[in-house]
Amino acid sequence: MIDLGRQMRDFVVVAILAILIATCAFVVVRNTELTSHQIALADRAIDTIHDSRAPSAHAVVVGPATASRKHPFLRKRQVFDRGIWRPLTDKQLYDMATRYERQGEIAELTADGRGLVVRCIDQPGLPSSRSCTSIAIAITEPAKPAPYPFLVLIGVLGLGAAIAAAGALIGRAGRAGMFAAIAVLAVPTMLWHAWIAASAILLLGGAVALAQRVALTDRIAAALVKNRTALSFLAPAAIAMFVLVATPFFIGIVLGFYDHHAGRWSFVGLSNFTEILSGSGRALDDPLNFWFILGVTVLWTIANVALHVTIGVSLALALSRKWIFGRGIFRMLFILPWAIPNYITALMWKGMFDEQYGAMNLMLHKAGFSGASWFHHWATSFGANVATNTWLGFPFMMVVALGALETIPKELYEAADVDGASAWQRFRHITLPHLRPALGPAVALGSIWTFNMFNVIYLVSAGKPNNSTNILVTDAYRWAFERNESYGMAAAYGTIIFLILLLWTVFGTRIVRSKEDA
Amino acid sequence: MKRRPRLLTMVATYAALIVLVCVVLYPVLLVCKKAFEPGRTLSTSISPVPATFTGQHFVDLFTSSSRGELTFLRHTLNSVVAALATTVVGVVLSCTAAYALSRFRFPGRKLGLTTFLVVQMFPATLLLLPLYVVLDRLGLLNSLVGLVLVYSTTAIPFCVWTLKGYFDTLPRELEEAARIDGASQWMVFRRIILPLARPGLSVTALFSFMTAWNEFIMASTFMTDESKYTLPVLIQSSVGRFTQDWGFFAAGAVVTSIPVMIAFYVLQKYLVGGLTAGAVKG
Repeated sequence: MIDLGRQMRDFVVVAILAILIATCAFVVVRNTELTSHQIALADRAIDTIHDSRAPSAHAVVVGPATASRKHPFLRKRQVFDRGIWRPLTDKQLYDMATRYERQGEIAELTADGRGLVVRCIDQPGLPSSRSCTSIAIAITEPAKPAPYPFLVLIGVLGLGAAIAAAGALIGRAGRAGMFAAIAVLAVPTMLWHAWIAASAILLLGGAVALAQRVALTDRIAAALVKNRTALSFLAPAAIAMFVLVATPFFIGIVLGFYDHHAGRWSFVGLSNFTEILSGSGRALDDPLNFWFILGVTVLWTIANVALHVTIGVSLALALSRKWIFGRGIFRMLFILPWAIPNYITALMWKGMFDEQYGAMNLMLHKAGFSGASWFHHWATSFGANVATNTWLGFPFMMVVALGALETIPKELYEAADVDGASAWQRFRHITLPHLRPALGPAVALGSIWTFNMFNVIYLVSAGKPNNSTNILVTDAYRWAFERNESYGMAAAYGTIIFLILLLWTVFGTRIVRSKEDA
Repeated sequence: MKRRPRLLTMVATYAALIVLVCVVLYPVLLVCKKAFEPGRTLSTSISPVPATFTGQHFVDLFTSSSRGELTFLRHTLNSVVAALATTVVGVVLSCTAAYALSRFRFPGRKLGLTTFLVVQMFPATLLLLPLYVVLDRLGLLNSLVGLVLVYSTTAIPFCVWTLKGYFDTLPRELEEAARIDGASQWMVFRRIILPLARPGLSVTALFSFMTAWNEFIMASTFMTDESKYTLPVLIQSSVGRFTQDWGFFAAGAVVTSIPVMIAFYVLQKYLVGGLTAGAVKG
């Protein structure tokens, strides 16, 4: 038997969740309807563009961009508005036309919440002052979105509460009453044909009824009360993380199942993922093939981490010798690359590898060689990236290794000397085992940083030649922002990168750690 | 009992160290040289000392203006506001959580610690696209508010971990005594822990300030309107696709890096401790 108090407590918690889901569904449904209605208006306006009396939307024809005669670096357009051609001065229209030429048809709700819809389509047959194609653009009047259905939701809530209470009072029917009460909350979403939201709410109701059966809700409530101080201290950061990290993270995963074209999202299931993982039907050495990029990324990570560790540990060993004069100064100079912001390092090295004036080529010329076009060949371009990243990354490993070396008791070396151990034996059996516990996590961390070292790749080689030096994160970025806003592809890439990193943190760090236990 | 190293070893070690110091210093010196050398193109000599000195690049940097506004000061202001706000949001939201994770035992604590660690380790670039789509919908592109929200995604877990590490080092006796005297948990936190933790709080705050100050790709993606650029975006755009002004770049790089470099040198011993402590315990 479930008493009334518990029943109401459970109902209130679940009802809040259900209302949140319903609200999201409402907003999505409303915006979709509004957009399609406004797009229809915009299309009608474009059809009647010659009538010069656009009833519900402002539609114009924009001509192609031409260089200005007075200022050759400026481009301008003509606009056909209400029956006459005149120079275009409206920035929004100009930007829309430029975007149209880049990515094709546009039909979208503008992001400013005013309910405007922008529609751009090709308009070849219109009176044009030039022979080129013109573009028809319509911007609708702002529409008033349907109001939030407060009354409906309050009514449904009251009815649900009554059912839940009745269920508890009748005795034995408590759980059925709870499920029925939640099911009532799903009714409005069914009326909006928001089937995903409706089934989510129903599932929620079923889950709560089941949880009540095994007294899970009671236990959760008891745990919450018992740890209320700890949880209230944790709450600000936890809520912020939920809103700022978890939400975008899940949105990112969901976006991977969509295709984004000209401002419109359409569900495509797994096709982004299959396209990526099958290499998009490209040859294995095609720079846009996922497996090629993954290969470059792995090579990049291994090369860098190996160089960081080798250089860092060697320097730490050298600097840990007591007879080196000025150890503090050396240490300070060697961590300089770590102190410089890494975008500046990257740009600085991009300058060094400049074909014409770069210091690298100037030095090669001085030495009697001909300079190289660093970014025209894969090997030199990749090498330039590795050089930059090695330069900026070894100090971290050096500092970690120096710290670990300081903790080695001197007695160990003295004992080894007494036993007549060679330098190699001392390194192998004393130094190395003491370095491992510190270097293991540092390597794990360093590999994750290098795997995602966006700035170096993006700023030094920028993927040149022909995108072949991109790593996964920079390629994902290019899908999003440089290849027709293929947000869906970029999001799918992000999910795959996340899975790779997760596998690496779970298994890779275990490998690093098991070695340190051995 | 110290063994004298062989002469050859000494010479070889010093030679290697000095060569490496040159490799480390040379690119930096080239930038400093360019900052004081006339001309917009890269230098045509490999010497790290400029042939002729000029302060013109710095004058250009501080007096460059667009629409009657001093652009460099504008961008500096953007950077300062974004970094300061991120720091405040990060430290304020995370200090209580860090305390809870350090002192209380409750179900889900392990999970919480791992989550914060993983989020801190994983790059923010993974969230770049979804954040872009969401901020676009909310109309928060080209706005410092949006940028601060984006930066908080990394600042909060970072602050939680570093502060938790610091709280772990504080003795518990004072708190226990205060609890016995009848202080509430919140009183203990506010009156005892926060004052005690001031050094840890300032180090954490400085690090999150530096991270936000040095951030490039998020700012460059979210702030497309030139007046909203932060310093990294401005500096990158000076040698970007459309303009190549290495003198401006060098002067800007010197001016923006020097404060963070000083801070870095002062704080570096805390940084290594914090990073590896998190990785070892997690």
